[in-house]
Amino acid sequence: MTTLSLTQVQKRFGAVEVIRGVDLSITSGEFVVFVGPSGCGKSTLLRMIAGLEPISGGELSIGGVRMNDTAASQRGIAMVFQSYALYPHMSVYKNMSFGLETARMPRAEIDRRVRKAAEILQITPLLERKPRQLSGGQRQRVAIGRAIVRDPKIFLFDEPLSNLDAELRVQTRVEIAKLHADIGATMIYVTHDQVEAMTLADRIVVLRAGIVEQHGTPLDIYNKPANRFVAGFIGSPKMNFLDVIGANRFNLPTRRTIDAGETLTLGVRPEHVVTGGAAEIDLGALAIIHVEQLGGQTIAYGRLADGQPLNVVLEGQRRINAGDSLPVGAMAASCHLFASDGLRLNS
Amino acid sequence: MTEVVRAPVLAVPAAASRAGTASPWRRAFAYALLIAVTFVLLYPLLWMVASSLRPDSEIFHSTSLIPQAPTLDAYRRGWNGLSVGFGQLFLNSLLISVLVVLGNVMSCAMAAYAFTRLRFRGRGFWFAMMLGTLMLPQHAVLIPQYIMFLKLGWVNTILPLTIPKFLAVDAFFVFLMVQFFRSIPRELDEAAVMDGCGPLRIFLKVILPLSTPVLATATVFSFIWTWDDFFAPLIYLNDIEKYTAQLGLRTFVDSAGQSDWGALFAMSTLTVLPIFILFLVFQRLLIEGIATTGMKR
Amino acid sequence: MPAAAAASARAVQRDDLAGYGFLLPWLLGFLLLTLGPVAASFYLSLTDYSGLSAPNWVGIENYRRIATDDPRFVTAMTVTFTFVLLSVPLKLLFALGVAVALNKGLAGLSFFRAVFYLPSLIGGSVAIAVLWRQVFAGDGLLNQALNALFGYEGPSWIANPSTSLYTLVLLAVWQFGSSMIIFLAGLRQIPQDIYEAASIDGAQPVRQFFKITLPLLTPVIFFNAVIQTIDAFKAFTSAFVISDGTGGPIDSTLFYTLYLYQEAFTNFRFGYASALAWILVLIIAVFTALSFLSARYWVHYDD
Repeated sequence: MTTLSLTQVQKRFGAVEVIRGVDLSITSGEFVVFVGPSGCGKSTLLRMIAGLEPISGGELSIGGVRMNDTAASQRGIAMVFQSYALYPHMSVYKNMSFGLETARMPRAEIDRRVRKAAEILQITPLLERKPRQLSGGQRQRVAIGRAIVRDPKIFLFDEPLSNLDAELRVQTRVEIAKLHADIGATMIYVTHDQVEAMTLADRIVVLRAGIVEQHGTPLDIYNKPANRFVAGFIGSPKMNFLDVIGANRFNLPTRRTIDAGETLTLGVRPEHVVTGGAAEIDLGALAIIHVEQLGGQTIAYGRLADGQPLNVVLEGQRRINAGDSLPVGAMAASCHLFASDGLRLNS
Repeated sequence: MTEVVRAPVLAVPAAASRAGTASPWRRAFAYALLIAVTFVLLYPLLWMVASSLRPDSEIFHSTSLIPQAPTLDAYRRGWNGLSVGFGQLFLNSLLISVLVVLGNVMSCAMAAYAFTRLRFRGRGFWFAMMLGTLMLPQHAVLIPQYIMFLKLGWVNTILPLTIPKFLAVDAFFVFLMVQFFRSIPRELDEAAVMDGCGPLRIFLKVILPLSTPVLATATVFSFIWTWDDFFAPLIYLNDIEKYTAQLGLRTFVDSAGQSDWGALFAMSTLTVLPIFILFLVFQRLLIEGIATTGMKR
Repeated sequence: MPAAAAASARAVQRDDLAGYGFLLPWLLGFLLLTLGPVAASFYLSLTDYSGLSAPNWVGIENYRRIATDDPRFVTAMTVTFTFVLLSVPLKLLFALGVAVALNKGLAGLSFFRAVFYLPSLIGGSVAIAVLWRQVFAGDGLLNQALNALFGYEGPSWIANPSTSLYTLVLLAVWQFGSSMIIFLAGLRQIPQDIYEAASIDGAQPVRQFFKITLPLLTPVIFFNAVIQTIDAFKAFTSAFVISDGTGGPIDSTLFYTLYLYQEAFTNFRFGYASALAWILVLIIAVFTALSFLSARYWVHYDD
């Protein structure tokens, strides 16, 4: 069942087109993550769904009803802001009840909802405090609580973890995932952090320059990036890209035949580089320039015989040093081939 | 003159943070200088207060700050020194000042909210006009305003002194509030929009409650400037029973002339007293206001 | 695509209604109390309006008379410029000196700061002008003190046309507090490590003041100078009270604003006074423009 659909949605600021015709439909209960580099339009898209930015063209519908010109508060959505945007002069309780009071909900019902949300988020003891008396993590919970009390069909999150420290970020990430499982509402989540995207999403939408580059499950996107941009953006450390000229000497299955003189890009993720002789595709010798020992992994940075850089992630602790030479290659199944226009060639 | 003097963005000086950087001699010298300056600055003020408590015979024979035989006689004489009691004049001043504060704070906050938070056609143009009026001397509008109020029959009433303030004519306060409102995160407005608020409710429930510092600053300065104002009441008020305390005091100078300095000092002290009390209570607010916005007084 | 066009028209819809609703008071004030009067004032300056009969167009006659045939205008200009050129630099020097002394990390900073600020806060009131009248009178506080200390019989400083203006300069300098607060805040903005670097480079305190403090403080000095100068051009109350509204003795304290007031509200020469007002506005505008032009050469901005 579709709860939200975008049809050729556009956003222009004057002559500048920020969102250039996005089509997307999101089903009920789905956790969708918009990801992309800064300036890709992901936040703008979210704010258009929220009703904070007017839609310049195309259609937004929620539950089958056109929502382009519906007031933000009437769309059945709630939003968690990057800075939390808690009202500094109101108590935690009041922060959560304010929207319901504006909607003139009966006091008893407001109280019931606030207390229930506080319980879910374990912030009941904080209800009478002011936001400035809370830690970053607690503020985050209040911001989510303010969304929960409205009982929305759709939750919107705008980079909600970016103001937390690394440890709290991981912890909160798990809690948001759990919240999604418990409530079952649709959630749309914006981030520039591809790890957050991979870990939270049912479906990732990769945006660049106002266009959806690809959408699909995290593993789909990891395994079959639609183009070179997506391939480089998802996965850490970044995928290696090697220029290869000439025929498809690797014998990868491709969607079309390849011209003899065509310039192609071969993509191999660092964790998929095979050392030793077992590789199906031989990439030659890698001259090691620098090695990072992470304990659980060893990362080696080097150059191939033709000077192109290549990075390798190896499991465990390996005895490699700068100056060493390492025979490297890859298995055909984990190689990606991109045409000069960036599009994926192998099927 | 649309260009505004660029107020340097300044932090409020914290308490002494450079202790120990100056040598003991230099510090002693600095203290001596500061204490001397304090004395010279305050001496006339304290002497005025002391003289108001002296019998008249003593005033011109004593430079000391302690009256030998303190008496409130001068206050009694001064209080009833005009054909109208000073009590009436203080009430007049208070009424005008309170109305001006109300008018300034309400209308300037509304304008600043429109300029900072609402998108409407012509906003940039009107904002530029507002900045343009910031440095426009009052003299450019003084005479036509007077003629207009004269024709409206408003001269010799408090209307010319108060009504304009409800129309945000003190661009300085608009500017002050614009600066402050800009520092309130826009995400709060957006959160309020998500919570179903329209512009009015955002203004009343989010922006105003968060702006108490700037509203207080505007209130206190507005009150003090109005209380102290001499020029506008001088032009617009004719009947002595409508006078402000400042105007009454100046009339008292004419009538008491050189004859009753004691009463004159007593009434002078009283007219300064409200400002002094505000100064004591809101000292920090006033100094921050000066330091961060560069107000002239 | 009519549907899309309609959608985009609605998408750029703004809060025109709310915007003008909130702006309404200011807008009325601007149109009725600023823009209209500015235009009217310019028109009046070209008439002989007196409030009694309809204004007669006289062209630039008022301006011609001011420029060529008005000795009191010349006096008022002389008095005002003397006052501005004396009081502003003295006030700023004093404010800067005290601010630098206060910035030595002394205990009691907030006490001194508050005490020094008090005169600026109350200095414009009638009460202080009354006090000044007494202090500098023939039998006033100053002469009593001079007599007690040195046995010197001073004249009446207020009644003497050669000294009366200087008592007003002194009153202006007495109100150095707000400039000082701004200087102090500016001094606090200068990062301590710059001084540390200068010390390591061997710069002595005096050299540090002229090579670091002063250049880095130029934006604040500029700001204070412009504000205080405009304010000084507009000074009125103290001169009015001290001279009983005459600008005397023999016009020695005839501030420009005082002359303007007399012409408009004592002599009811509204047309002529409007011309005087426009000249004042022009002077302030030219001064401000020159300040901004000169700022390029001596004010140091970080950005």
